[in-house]
Amino acid sequence: MFESLKMGDKGKIIDISRVGKLVQRRLLDLGITEGSEVCVKCVMPFGGPVMIESCGQCVGIRRKEAVQIEVVRL
Amino acid sequence: MEIALIGNPNTGKTSLFNNLTGSYAYVGNWSGVTVEKKVGVFKNNIGQLIDLPGVYTLNPLSKDEGVVTSYFLNEAVDRLLNILDASQLERNLHLTLQLLEFEKPALIGLNMIDVANKRGIQIDASKLSKILGVPVVPVVARNGKGCDKLVDVIATKSIQPANKNLVCYGQAVESAIAAITGEMTAKTNHSTRFLAIQYIEGNEYVRNYVNHIADQQKLTSILEELESQLLNQYDTKSLANFIYTKRKEVIEKIVAEVARKGDATIPLSEKIDSIVTNRYLGLPIFLLLMYFMFMLTFDWLGTPLSDALDGLLTGPVTSGIESALGAIHASAFIHALILEGLVAGVGGVLVFVPQIFILFFFISLLEDSGYMARVALVMDRIMESVGLNGKAFIPMIIGFGCNVPGIMAARTIETPRERLLTVLLTPLMSCSARLPVYALFVGAFFAGHKAFIVLSLYVLGIVMVLILAKIFSSTVLKSETSLFVIELPPYRLPQFQSLWRSTWDKGKGFVRKAGTFIFAGSVIIWLLSYAGPGGLEVDMDDSFLAAIGNVIAPIFAPIGFGTWQAAASLITGFLAKEAIISTMNIIYFVPNDASLQALLADFYTPLSAYSFMVFILLYIPCLATVATIYKETNSKKWTAFSMIYAFVIAYVLALIIYQGGRLIGLV
Repeated sequence: MFESLKMGDKGKIIDISRVGKLVQRRLLDLGITEGSEVCVKCVMPFGGPVMIESCGQCVGIRRKEAVQIEVVRL
Repeated sequence: MEIALIGNPNTGKTSLFNNLTGSYAYVGNWSGVTVEKKVGVFKNNIGQLIDLPGVYTLNPLSKDEGVVTSYFLNEAVDRLLNILDASQLERNLHLTLQLLEFEKPALIGLNMIDVANKRGIQIDASKLSKILGVPVVPVVARNGKGCDKLVDVIATKSIQPANKNLVCYGQAVESAIAAITGEMTAKTNHSTRFLAIQYIEGNEYVRNYVNHIADQQKLTSILEELESQLLNQYDTKSLANFIYTKRKEVIEKIVAEVARKGDATIPLSEKIDSIVTNRYLGLPIFLLLMYFMFMLTFDWLGTPLSDALDGLLTGPVTSGIESALGAIHASAFIHALILEGLVAGVGGVLVFVPQIFILFFFISLLEDSGYMARVALVMDRIMESVGLNGKAFIPMIIGFGCNVPGIMAARTIETPRERLLTVLLTPLMSCSARLPVYALFVGAFFAGHKAFIVLSLYVLGIVMVLILAKIFSSTVLKSETSLFVIELPPYRLPQFQSLWRSTWDKGKGFVRKAGTFIFAGSVIIWLLSYAGPGGLEVDMDDSFLAAIGNVIAPIFAPIGFGTWQAAASLITGFLAKEAIISTMNIIYFVPNDASLQALLADFYTPLSAYSFMVFILLYIPCLATVATIYKETNSKKWTAFSMIYAFVIAYVLALIIYQGGRLIGLV
């Protein structure tokens, strides 16, 4: 669960299939899919989006999608 | 020769375009600044370069990305120039592999090697060229390094891809590809392998195209068979995913051969990000920046410059024209037409050029530096609560400059509902053409609080957007789907040259409009005010213009400005918002701006002036904007809706402000 990660934590995605189809596709375009290593860079307040980093690029996604991504802490 | 420039978003495509063509295209750093097809001519005249929107793949999600796919399918392209971001080679190569499957002559510009080197990545360009079978030229698009070599290669080498079928998609897919291509033989000029792969991947544009030329039922059955076979045989979620994985395997092999990774230094970008997208500081920093931008535009820098320009126009320029007219013995009619019509009308708009250029400079700075995408991230929570997403905020900020590019920038929003909502609401953003009206009125009535009053109007526009977005998204535009994934490009120090280019590119439209539209409009308005039912040279109150204005003036009486002068200027304001100022300058003809402000005090009170400004802010988008809304929505219904709701909101709000203000004793 993404929730278990705090700012600065690193994790590896093991399951992304519960995320919405469109978001999944867009993340795939950006090279973020099962097996990708991600790092939580920033979490905006009041349930706002999170900023994650993967392979040197930063991507913003919504909190409710982020919590659907299954990750294991590295 | 036509060469198409294609690459991922934020790879420096537009910078490269500018360097190769020397033309004044727009440079941006936010994913999706290139929203229109732009064509430039190469500096050495070898052909035309077409700038396509940035895409990650040829299988589109948004309308913006669809532009690329339909360009590939429907237009003749001679050569492809693919630009790659060397620091993100893996992701960029997915597009490259698809382009090579298209089997057109291609070459690669390997950009941002400097960034890659800083992050400890070394890339062997000649090895990459050998593997891909096309020339690879390292370039630094930002400063033009390597661009000459790139042009040489484009011009001279025969660059038909040497290696075919770089990716083998496995036995099952390959036999389906063979079956599909068999159905299409001799029916198309495009590479049938390319079409077949995109068809299997689920590219809607290609599916439409292929279904037109081949037997739809046969193709569908091939596809279904393949799908069931693959899902049974392999652990894969969909055909698209399977194809992606196959490409990825090939890319991993390529990258392992050409790239060497060493030690990386922590980029400055991440340090800045920890501040500007900070949990709590993000929003205050953004508001502070906006405040700073407005103070500079209206108070600290813009106003002194405008005043100086005004002094020049009303002083030396007017007296120069006067003496020139005297020297050629011009008739009184010509004399009045030029001085009271043209100089007042066009000059009244031109004095705001400095302020508008300062505003455009800041918008360009936000785009080029990479901050714009952060703003979208910071604003997403608020936008989501009203049924929009953070990306919708970018068209709105661009709308501060001019609503037309703002509305076009909404193309990068993936879901149709959110896009339509953004298109409908962007006109409420106070564009630069409305600025002269505010500048004139705050100068006359709110001299002590200029920037504050103007900022209040901008904020009012944003607040109205949020309220209306909430109302529309819970009534007429209901839907659950929303998509927000945004790439945050690294910060880049904007280069003065490209900043100046994009400022000029945006600002020149305003100057050109003053020379054409406003020029002609001023002549017509002056003639209407000069002639009347009683003949020429009538008193202004008996002119045709007064007669027209008087017809609709009573409508505006309850909101504080039921004069024919206000009504007439609002009509011309539909053509272009800055025409309001031209019209007023002609109607209340006075030799210089300062006394126009004094004269306005006879017709408006501070309260009715504020009500007037609010009305100007919100009422009917200008003609060019309405035309763009129609083009983008392709619906007469929504275009009419955008005009009507704006007028109603403007009237209601002005009524509340004027009558409410009077009730609590304001004047």
